[in-house]
Amino acid sequence: MSDKEKVACDHCHLEFSKDVMIKDGEHYFCCNGCQGVYHLLSDEGLDSFYEKTKGVKLSPPTKQYEDSKNFDSPAFYDKFVKTDENGFSRVALVIEGIHCSACVWLNEKALQKMDGVIEANINYTNNKAIVVWDDDIVKLSQIVDMIRAIGYNAFPYDPSIQESRANKERKDYYLRMAVAIFATMNVMWVAVAQYAGYFTGIKQDMKTILNIAEWVLATPVLFYSGWIFFRGAYYGIKTKTVNMDILVATGATLTYIYSIYITLTESGEAYFDSVSMIITFVLIGKFLEVLSKKSVADALDIMGKDIPNEVQVLREGKIVPVKLADVQVGDVIVVTSGQKVLFDGEIIKGEGCFDESSLTGESEPICKQEGDNVISGTLSIDADVQVRATKDFEHSTLAHLTNLLEESLSKKPRIQQMANKLSEYFSITILTLSAVTFLAWLWLGHDFERSFMVAISVIVIACPCALALATPVATLVGLGIAARRGILFKEAAQLETMAKADTLLLDKTGTLTLGKPEVVQEKKYKEYDKNVLASLTKLSNHPVSKGVFNYLDLDDFHEVCFDSFKQHPAMGIEAYVGKRRYLGGNAKLLKYFGIDVAYESDRTLFFFAVDDEVVAVFELEDPLKPDAKQSIEAIKKRGIEPVILTGDHKNIALKVANELGIRRVYYELTPEHKAAFVEDMHKQNHIVVMVGDGINDILALSQADIGIVMGSGSDIAIEVGDVVLLDDRLTSLVESFQIAATSYRLIKENLALSLVYNAITIPLAMAGYVIPLVAAISMSLSSLLVVGNSIRIKFTWRRG
Amino acid sequence: MSSGIVAMMLGASLFLGGIALVAFLWGLRSGQFDDEEKFLNAVKFDNEDDLQSAVEAQKKKEELLMKKRAKKEQYKPE
Repeated sequence: MSDKEKVACDHCHLEFSKDVMIKDGEHYFCCNGCQGVYHLLSDEGLDSFYEKTKGVKLSPPTKQYEDSKNFDSPAFYDKFVKTDENGFSRVALVIEGIHCSACVWLNEKALQKMDGVIEANINYTNNKAIVVWDDDIVKLSQIVDMIRAIGYNAFPYDPSIQESRANKERKDYYLRMAVAIFATMNVMWVAVAQYAGYFTGIKQDMKTILNIAEWVLATPVLFYSGWIFFRGAYYGIKTKTVNMDILVATGATLTYIYSIYITLTESGEAYFDSVSMIITFVLIGKFLEVLSKKSVADALDIMGKDIPNEVQVLREGKIVPVKLADVQVGDVIVVTSGQKVLFDGEIIKGEGCFDESSLTGESEPICKQEGDNVISGTLSIDADVQVRATKDFEHSTLAHLTNLLEESLSKKPRIQQMANKLSEYFSITILTLSAVTFLAWLWLGHDFERSFMVAISVIVIACPCALALATPVATLVGLGIAARRGILFKEAAQLETMAKADTLLLDKTGTLTLGKPEVVQEKKYKEYDKNVLASLTKLSNHPVSKGVFNYLDLDDFHEVCFDSFKQHPAMGIEAYVGKRRYLGGNAKLLKYFGIDVAYESDRTLFFFAVDDEVVAVFELEDPLKPDAKQSIEAIKKRGIEPVILTGDHKNIALKVANELGIRRVYYELTPEHKAAFVEDMHKQNHIVVMVGDGINDILALSQADIGIVMGSGSDIAIEVGDVVLLDDRLTSLVESFQIAATSYRLIKENLALSLVYNAITIPLAMAGYVIPLVAAISMSLSSLLVVGNSIRIKFTWRRG
Repeated sequence: MSSGIVAMMLGASLFLGGIALVAFLWGLRSGQFDDEEKFLNAVKFDNEDDLQSAVEAQKKKEELLMKKRAKKEQYKPE
């Protein structure tokens, strides 16, 4: 057996050659972390975990955790820990490192075994956990330590009330639908017997039994499942609008009362089946709408997610943690590398670079020193500085941005949906017609019972089923087609809005361009070792360095070891092999070392110098996405005007616009400018679609009628956006417009179908030609028609 | 067939169906279908040990709840 043989680690199942593994009895481990976890699980009697994983590869536990004691700070408890009605504490955690169902099992079991932990429930799909414990016995830090000890990590999150409310609403609908569908299905069976009896003759006592069975079944449907419509009708009356709910509620209730009367007097036909069918169908339509609604609050949640509660403040020579709200203007705040700046202020000590992409959208780091201002919301890349706050948290740029976002989300225009408008008129018309019919029949000398039945048949036949299904089914088909193409619409109603849009605002970097500069030209002054340059550029994560590295694309790349190297932020890299100095960076770097450069270009430049002599210059450009030009043309053809909004410089913006044939370009814009532009467009009655990817776009995205986000965009942008293009391609953008237009056409077709159907049948019903039996059958028929028409689109979509 | 028999059959089948419905509603309400992955995986992890620990967890919860209540009673100001 050679030592090169590969063995799998007994904990994580990753394979390494035998000689690097830790041997422990019969077991092999890849690292101390895995070994520790393995023994812990054995000691705790949780080793059946390994039977359950069945060799699934896990990630080895890492050790770089912040002190878990933070979890016990009062500020933390304030924010994340809730106390439930029994006095137990409850927290929502996101567990990191879950690979398989066995991981879920292990975490749950390990936590449940702890003293004082009452409940640990982990959702496999989103890795979110709810943990309930008794704070007198065990502390949250111990719980987190346990999760870490078994090789996972946990972060708290604030389960927004909104999210749980949406889930609750959904569950409520499930329950009501379960009852409605169960009862309706059974009513149908009984109704089959009824109808058979109607045509072939049936004894009255048999009929009464069947009627009573239907009565029993229809009652929960009307009063439990249909409760939503009564509630909707109540609010409708309160706000003095006639909505579909009123029509459904009155129609169903009248039919129900009438049927009870029939059952008790043993005369005529009861129509409990119509009652339960109306409620069930419309309830399903309504549920489809609820299903495709997104909650607004999620976006704000993400924004606040990485804002800590405390900052380190220098007071009387000591660093003390202070709550955000207690920091005053003039306090000196200590910001270390990797931290987010939470206060606007002036640097009084130290220097370094900041990532300001959240404000400008450009990823180039900005370097600052004493006396410069830093802006809240930016990220310190390598700066260890002391900042004197010039504003308190409430007035900081970060808080301002959050407020703006909140405001624009609530201000988001809601284009009234066609179906809603239509159903309002429809409901009023039907209710009036029914009342008129009743009075007319009475006036013509018919008895009360006959007149009432005809009036009811008007309502039943005008059953809003088809109308209620028209929009949800059509949009659902649209959403399905879109999802299969990697286009996620978060709300069904957006399809209609998007179909009506006439202006398309485009962000440049990352949306129209790839966001990764590529070398387009190289000028060589002298031969040089490509391996050295590749190694040099590999030292930096800057996009330009990466661009050069990718351009070199060496097959036989072997990394050169530099004796020493230094990063010059926003300039480049300096590295040594022996006495030989290599420089790679922009013109500023060369000037810094006293090298003259006389190379002019509009593009981004990267110089490579060996011993103070420039040997090569690379010109880089952020290339357009390959499908940009054809996509923009296709969008123009649809009658939508494209506009570029960018934070970038004039020259670059104009060049991109020229290449794409876009006439309107706005450059050097801040996030607020972009948002203001959207508002201006609204004032001119344009319906605006905004496409972007960065944090600097979120204000505009949230304010636009439709915000479309690239899937590779920042988390917060994806939360704010209404539509996500998973594959980042602009052809998907065109497709999403196509799908929206097709779905909208489908909605219109469906509505037209159900209206035409009503236009034919309602006069018949008013004239008394339609008995409720026929009404019930044709009701299902019209619903089938609408659903069928929607499904048709799935097959014909390609042509559309 | 006499109408009495029809009534009985209808009643019995609706009653049985009703039991199934109530069971389903209970499952829905107590969140057993909330996480479909876990719901499906639960079948795999359903041996005696798991059953045992589920029972223990339930017991532990009740115990802690009792303790908590007892404490609350004690602290209650007269």
